[in-house]
Amino acid sequence: MPGARGLVLGALCLLGALGRPPAGRREVSMHFNPGWNDSSVNLLHVRAVDANSTLHYVWSSLGVPAVLLLYTENKHSTLHINWTQLLSPEPAGAIWVEPPSSVLHASAVVFTKLFEYDGANASGPAHALFYPPYDLAAFSWDSVNQTLNHTALTAAFRGTGPPRTFHNGSIAFQVTAYEESSRDRRLPGLLHTANSSKLEFVMNGVAPRGNSSRFMLEMLMVEGPGRHRRLESVRSIDDEYTPTIFEMVQLVSEPQGTQAGPGFLQWKTTAYGAREAKRENGIRCRYSPLQAVNGTLLGPSIARAYFGKDVGGLAAINISFGGEDGEIYSSTGYLSWSVLLGFGTPPEDAFSPLVVAIMAVALGTPVVLLVAGAIVVLFFQKKRYSEYEPIN
Amino acid sequence: MGESGGEEERALLDGDSAGGGSPAGRALPALCDPRRLAHRLLVLALMCFLGFGSYFCYDNPAALQTQVQGDMKVNTAQFMSLYAWYSWPNVVLCFFGGFLIDRVFGIRLGTIIFGTFVCVGQVIFALGALFNAFWLMDAGRFVFGIGGESLAVAQNTYAVSWFKGKELNLVFGLQLSMARIGSTVNMNIMGWVYSRVQDLLGSTGHTTLGLTLMIGGVTCIFSLICALILAYLDKRAEKLLCKKQGKTGEVIKLTDVKDFSLSLWLIFIICVCYYAAVFPFIGLGKVFFIEKFKFSPQEASAINSIVYIISAPMSPVFGFLVDKLGKNIIWVLCAVLTTLASHIMLAFTFWNPWIAMCMLGVAYSLLACALWPMVAFVVPEHQLGTAYGFMQSIQNLGLAIISIAAGTILDSRGYLFLEVFFSACICLSLIAVVMLYFVNRLTGGDLNWSAKKREKLQKLAAAEAEEQEKLRRQNEDDLAKLRPKDHISLRNRYLSRLGAQLPANYYSHLSTLAHRSVLK
Repeated sequence: MPGARGLVLGALCLLGALGRPPAGRREVSMHFNPGWNDSSVNLLHVRAVDANSTLHYVWSSLGVPAVLLLYTENKHSTLHINWTQLLSPEPAGAIWVEPPSSVLHASAVVFTKLFEYDGANASGPAHALFYPPYDLAAFSWDSVNQTLNHTALTAAFRGTGPPRTFHNGSIAFQVTAYEESSRDRRLPGLLHTANSSKLEFVMNGVAPRGNSSRFMLEMLMVEGPGRHRRLESVRSIDDEYTPTIFEMVQLVSEPQGTQAGPGFLQWKTTAYGAREAKRENGIRCRYSPLQAVNGTLLGPSIARAYFGKDVGGLAAINISFGGEDGEIYSSTGYLSWSVLLGFGTPPEDAFSPLVVAIMAVALGTPVVLLVAGAIVVLFFQKKRYSEYEPIN
Repeated sequence: MGESGGEEERALLDGDSAGGGSPAGRALPALCDPRRLAHRLLVLALMCFLGFGSYFCYDNPAALQTQVQGDMKVNTAQFMSLYAWYSWPNVVLCFFGGFLIDRVFGIRLGTIIFGTFVCVGQVIFALGALFNAFWLMDAGRFVFGIGGESLAVAQNTYAVSWFKGKELNLVFGLQLSMARIGSTVNMNIMGWVYSRVQDLLGSTGHTTLGLTLMIGGVTCIFSLICALILAYLDKRAEKLLCKKQGKTGEVIKLTDVKDFSLSLWLIFIICVCYYAAVFPFIGLGKVFFIEKFKFSPQEASAINSIVYIISAPMSPVFGFLVDKLGKNIIWVLCAVLTTLASHIMLAFTFWNPWIAMCMLGVAYSLLACALWPMVAFVVPEHQLGTAYGFMQSIQNLGLAIISIAAGTILDSRGYLFLEVFFSACICLSLIAVVMLYFVNRLTGGDLNWSAKKREKLQKLAAAEAEEQEKLRRQNEDDLAKLRPKDHISLRNRYLSRLGAQLPANYYSHLSTLAHRSVLK
């Protein structure tokens, strides 16, 4: 009996150690439609392996665009897809991981709708006039296979709306996987670990239906049971990597009871209105509080394929782009918003060495000078007095 | 009381007959008689409003930063070039403003010309926005800059010529307050004007911005009208009182530069680095307060103008204090340290920014009062004009360069880095202050004496000078042919050594103090 307790304790310790995965390197591989030869369906499996764990990302535009994130404490865990079931009207259970017990964290984000509202006199979407929303389930998606870049580890899901909407415009979900911790060169310059991936939501040339249209993206969070979600706004004094943006938002889902680490979504409260993101074409980005959704996952999606239909604890969040004076989209017709999703504690910004160095030199020099000067003055005055003494 | 009332009544009664060109002996209505207080007050009001337009329009970009950047689609470096283009002409003009007024145009025509430059500059600036041509806006700021700084010199010269020896300090004080009011009103009202115009036109865009700036330009027209009336009144007073046209008395000789002492160069460094960390910050401050501290645009405008508001009442107080206590270097040190603390607070904390900005306002006023008079202690009087001209010139040069640098830094590295950069600038000026202290200590300079000691030594020097003068006179009698080249300047120098109260226009440092870059 004591032995068994010791074993459990040991296992718990091991789990705890695993809960905070090392921020080391991961071997990343991307697979387009694994086990299926038809490229009219888009499913991208990204597998990121390190010494003792595997992260599986499944990106797909099947039904509603969605991403599935699975963290397993086994470097040999494999993802299995039953394609016939996945493409059937009832895909529940079509995606699973072997061995199933190795899964420590599973979550999905489903991008359901794109709203458009009149932001002329409203400071936010709360009291605004809404146009009929675009349902992303009704979009048609280009094949991801052509956009797949195995060296840069990127892929793009580009979708166009139903005929006679959007006016040649498109939206895209651009995916970037990471092998190691680093920081994006491009704005908003998010810091990422090997345990995270970046999703960039891009709207290009979508014709606004009003003079002061603003767009809003609805996301649905799906998770297994026994998880606690919290939406945090992290205000930082450091805007060095994302000029003039001082707020980072992170949606953290922490497991209750088990020792598995949290999963997170993290983004800066800004979008950019040009292909080359710059501070001056920044678009204010707001978010609604997390709303619990009672109901089931509607329509086919990979979230439903993994979690089943009756998954509890759904929550929705809306990200709206553009403030009172945000007319940038109407002039450039381009919008890009980046969000990081991953496993573990969300990365935190720290002062760059340059800032620390400048402050140290700038504050240190006057002090050094003061001391040196004091010594020199003391020395000279002594000398002077000693010269004067005989005269007196 | 009754008597004066009667006099005024009488004056009012025969007001009509006293129309134009009547001899000075005739009684004139109080408002029209250049010798009477009422008339001088009228002139004072005109003088104050003379500078209002240019002060109002100088900070138009800061008040409308988001709108300018949004409507013109420019990055922050380009935005800050609006300030740089204002400074460029003044790198050179600081040396010539006084010369132009004294020798070329005369005070009246000079004022009108500079006022016209300000107006035309603002109109070009607004047209640039209307036509959506940012280079035209830059050009407008350049023309505006040609007029603005020199107009401040002209305004000051008028003040000296009308209020010499009487209420001059008060008049300078009032002009200063007017300058601050101009800046403050601008900061707080332009955003509102923009939103009104936006309602009128139904949309934002460069047209809205252009119209808003045109409306702002009305203040310049108003100032130009003041200049015209003032020119008329001055001409009339000249006729009536046979008084001379006002002169700045500035003498600038560029070859003096090679004689400048190390202390003076250190003072220049303090000046350039300090102002470079204050004005560009105010120019970029609005967005900072909105983004970092979640202020509303109105609140952000208010806090951005607090530095100007505080320095209006504090400048005379600190001026008085520094005069009474001396120890200028210690005051400058305090001001620089306080500014450093406030920049660090803004950069590294989320503390209420009102604290930091109020500290900045107080420190800024203290520095202006303690730093600028120091030049007079380290430079012989005949070089004062050159020293001040040079100081303003490199200050403008510094402002122009740092403005653009600040814009670039903000775009690429954000506000934290910008604040660190400003803190580094302040540290550089702190280093210069510390060095100045030791240099002064080692060379036995008088920069850090208390006022008492200064007075004592001044008396001593005066006695010595008297003796020397006696000797010199004897020599002069002996060598009757050897006369000093310029007896007026010699007498002035002697009198000021004595500590005698000279008419204010003899102090060239007083008149140069009224350059905008100093008073702002």
